[in-house]
Amino acid sequence: MTLTLTMNTSLPSTPQRQQRTSRWISTAFSLCALTAIALFFIPAFIIRPFHYQAPRALLIAMALRQRAPLGTLIAALACFAFALALWETAGRWRRSILVLTLLVVTFSAVMARLNYFEWMFHPIAGPQFLAQSDSKLDAKEMIMAVRLGTDARAYPISQMAYHHVLNDVVGGVPIAVTY
Amino acid sequence: MWTRTINGRELHFYVAGINNQNFLMRDKETGTWWQQITGKAIYGPLRGAALELVLSDELTFGEWRSESPAGQVLAPVAKYTKEYDSNWEPDVAKLPVVISFPGTELKSRDVVVGLTINGTARAYPWETFAKQSPILDRVSGTPLLLVLGPDGKSFRVFLSRIDGRETEFFLQDDSKSDTPAGKKDWSLLDTTTASQWNFQGCATSGPAQGKCLARIPALKDYWFDWRNYHPDTTVYRR
Repeated sequence: MTLTLTMNTSLPSTPQRQQRTSRWISTAFSLCALTAIALFFIPAFIIRPFHYQAPRALLIAMALRQRAPLGTLIAALACFAFALALWETAGRWRRSILVLTLLVVTFSAVMARLNYFEWMFHPIAGPQFLAQSDSKLDAKEMIMAVRLGTDARAYPISQMAYHHVLNDVVGGVPIAVTY
Repeated sequence: MWTRTINGRELHFYVAGINNQNFLMRDKETGTWWQQITGKAIYGPLRGAALELVLSDELTFGEWRSESPAGQVLAPVAKYTKEYDSNWEPDVAKLPVVISFPGTELKSRDVVVGLTINGTARAYPWETFAKQSPILDRVSGTPLLLVLGPDGKSFRVFLSRIDGRETEFFLQDDSKSDTPAGKKDWSLLDTTTASQWNFQGCATSGPAQGKCLARIPALKDYWFDWRNYHPDTTVYRR
């Protein structure tokens, strides 16, 4: 709105000029929206389970995902500003497109900040340990074992296959248990 | 398993994605992307860095319990216990793969034990290993002993040298018995000193008593994953 007002007061307003400005803002809005959406959806599409990740595509995915939290925020804020500028002159049809786009943009900005992989594979926040004599594990169950100094620890594979990564300290050494 | 200290800085990892069915982790401190199987930083501020491997074992709980009386076990997280799949291996074996290596001698989901000596990789098909254990082999000039535990599921790899002298090992006859009593007597014999060795790689009687063999890190993996990260790997054949 601010943008439109400035335009209206500082420039001699003609219908052509107004149309041109509006077209310019529409383009800027579309670019912002595309940026925000691409920053979330391209990596999400490339890094999806049970699909092939080509080395080059994976690099692009990581690069975009790395920049997505800040990038989507800036793009989303710009989108909202441009949408406000377009709102007054937009008809009902254009307004619904604006709102829909803003919804997808907001969704992208939120998702860029969330690690949805941890919705599937929940991390272990504060790992607890049992004395081996207190464990109810079956003797035939497979475990991953580590011994550092005098400390021996076992990580049942049934649990690690679900959580996948555990940050632990064994014998004073910080280790990452991965499966 | 990996140490998670780089240049004196402790890192905390979390699951961040998947790369052809091998996990990508990121660290909370720098946001760098790491490949789980290699421990290498593949993108981000620490790109090029490599985590140090921590020697670990894949054992049955029973085997580990008998070796580690004071050991501790990761407790199940109460709210996820229903999600844990104790039939994980056969269940995952049914899942599709996204990369395959047609023309290689193994199938994608064949389980192998993989190891790397001085940059030379070799895969031991689990099926062959289970039939032939102990396997004596040489990779990049290094004599190796691969051995399946008394439970038939745990495995370890050792440097096949006693005091720097190359040695051969064989399974003592009564170890092969399938009766529980036979398994209790499980031991290896070496051809140099005729000492008895346990599954931990330590001599329990004979002239070498008290000595232990050096361990060699090895990974149980699917063929497609091992082959993907070790394109030059050879496959052990009997």
